[in-house]
Amino acid sequence: MFTSIEELVAAAVKQHVTLSDLMIEQEMQNTNSTKDEVWTAMERNLAVMADAVKKGASGEGVYSQTGLTGGEAVKLKKYRQSHHTLAGDTVLEAVQDAIATNEVNASMGVICATPTAGSSGTLPGVLFMLRKRLNLNHEQLVRFLFTAGAFGLIIANNAMIAGATGGCQAEVGSASAMAAAAAVEAAGGTPQQSAEALAMALSNLLGLVCDPVAGLVELPCVKRNAIGAGNALIAADMALAGLTNKIPADEVVAAMKKIGEDMPQTLRETGLGGLAATPTGIKMKMQIFGKSVDLGGV
Amino acid sequence: MTTNYKSVFDIIGPVMIGPSSSHTAGAVAIGQAARKVFQSTPREIVVHYFESFAQTHRGHGTDYAIVSGVLGFSPADARVPQAVTIARQQQIKVVFKEEKGKSPIGHPNTAVIQLKNAQKSIEIAGCSIGGGTIEIRRIKVGEFDIQPQGALPVLLALDDDRTDQLLLEQLEVLTGINYHHIYVADTGRQLAEFDLNKRLKQDEVRALNSTVAELIYL
Repeated sequence: MFTSIEELVAAAVKQHVTLSDLMIEQEMQNTNSTKDEVWTAMERNLAVMADAVKKGASGEGVYSQTGLTGGEAVKLKKYRQSHHTLAGDTVLEAVQDAIATNEVNASMGVICATPTAGSSGTLPGVLFMLRKRLNLNHEQLVRFLFTAGAFGLIIANNAMIAGATGGCQAEVGSASAMAAAAAVEAAGGTPQQSAEALAMALSNLLGLVCDPVAGLVELPCVKRNAIGAGNALIAADMALAGLTNKIPADEVVAAMKKIGEDMPQTLRETGLGGLAATPTGIKMKMQIFGKSVDLGGV
Repeated sequence: MTTNYKSVFDIIGPVMIGPSSSHTAGAVAIGQAARKVFQSTPREIVVHYFESFAQTHRGHGTDYAIVSGVLGFSPADARVPQAVTIARQQQIKVVFKEEKGKSPIGHPNTAVIQLKNAQKSIEIAGCSIGGGTIEIRRIKVGEFDIQPQGALPVLLALDDDRTDQLLLEQLEVLTGINYHHIYVADTGRQLAEFDLNKRLKQDEVRALNSTVAELIYL
């Protein structure tokens, strides 16, 4: 198992292989599997992601049982078709796919957690936009997921990927960092540029709290994936342009862990702080669950 | 560094019914672990929630997720959101309790599950550490009350006499062993706990199963 990003990048450089190759090799060893088995399993996950992106933006869209979220991927799709967007169509396509995926998740549809369900839109948002932008073939799409997974494993083992232990920085932050690193490889960048993209993407989202209204993975989770996807693209472009983060990726991951540990419990997926504790957030919780809300902490 | 996450599919996956990997997919996994320890469908399910689980289980669908696992559903099973109704239709008693105190196993996403029928009861304490990955940090089964290290996979072998040496040798070859411990009850029965480095394949579990009285593979 690779224990650090530095080690992963060094191995890729030394062996003249891609990061996705290293991940596939490690997975085969760790699970006593053949390359075919590992590859096919990842293809199935890719298919689930493609379905969710499509489902969320089809027809009138999908809606959660509470009505707090839904139908907004469709709004973005229509807006893209009829307007000159400010951020540009490339970015907004990624945003649309990210939101579509998380709307499917909030409506209890089927998604692939990347690395979590709450952050499941970020990676597909980047991936499917790049498919068009870079003309990626099927093999490259699958490889993108292995590369993202390689970095995600190191983040998960060295820090955390749960909002309850590290806040949203650990979920959307990790997803955005993974997507940025994989985007660099897909665009032909070096392993070190992938590490820089990861470091920049994660640095930009450090400190992000997990404050779901009514404890539901809806507000603000769905739109946080929009910023996760946009941030990943910006970080990947910065890395490909030769910008560096100065603070190495492994140290950014360690900083994320420490920040997560220092974060008060009200801001770690308890639905007791941040947006969840606003007057409107509390009102929504009471309307949904029909009882008074104790904000005294746990 | 820990190695709780061992597979790329812990990160890119699982494929699951929303909305939360830790509070829904991970909760299904904790329920599945409880079912494996109980080894059948119980007549009564009691779930105690702590910390984040206590605060947000309703919004995250944790209730139906845990019951799904106990019923043997996978996280991507379309029946997951209806699991509590399905259980009650089968006359299974289902109770959820929001506990005020800190988690007894030191994690904010903690569920303690008790499963019972007329003959037996078991209890496990599990936590969902993110992305659908779980740890099981306490198991009460038969006369045993053990505290595994947490990370899965874990293999438990219960038998009347010592069979652990044979298992130990086989597991060393198949997966490697991270930790192992033998518990001996007053009755003389023993429980061998093996924390494995890799997951076993199904046919490997079946082969091992034939060598001991009772095998629980989490």
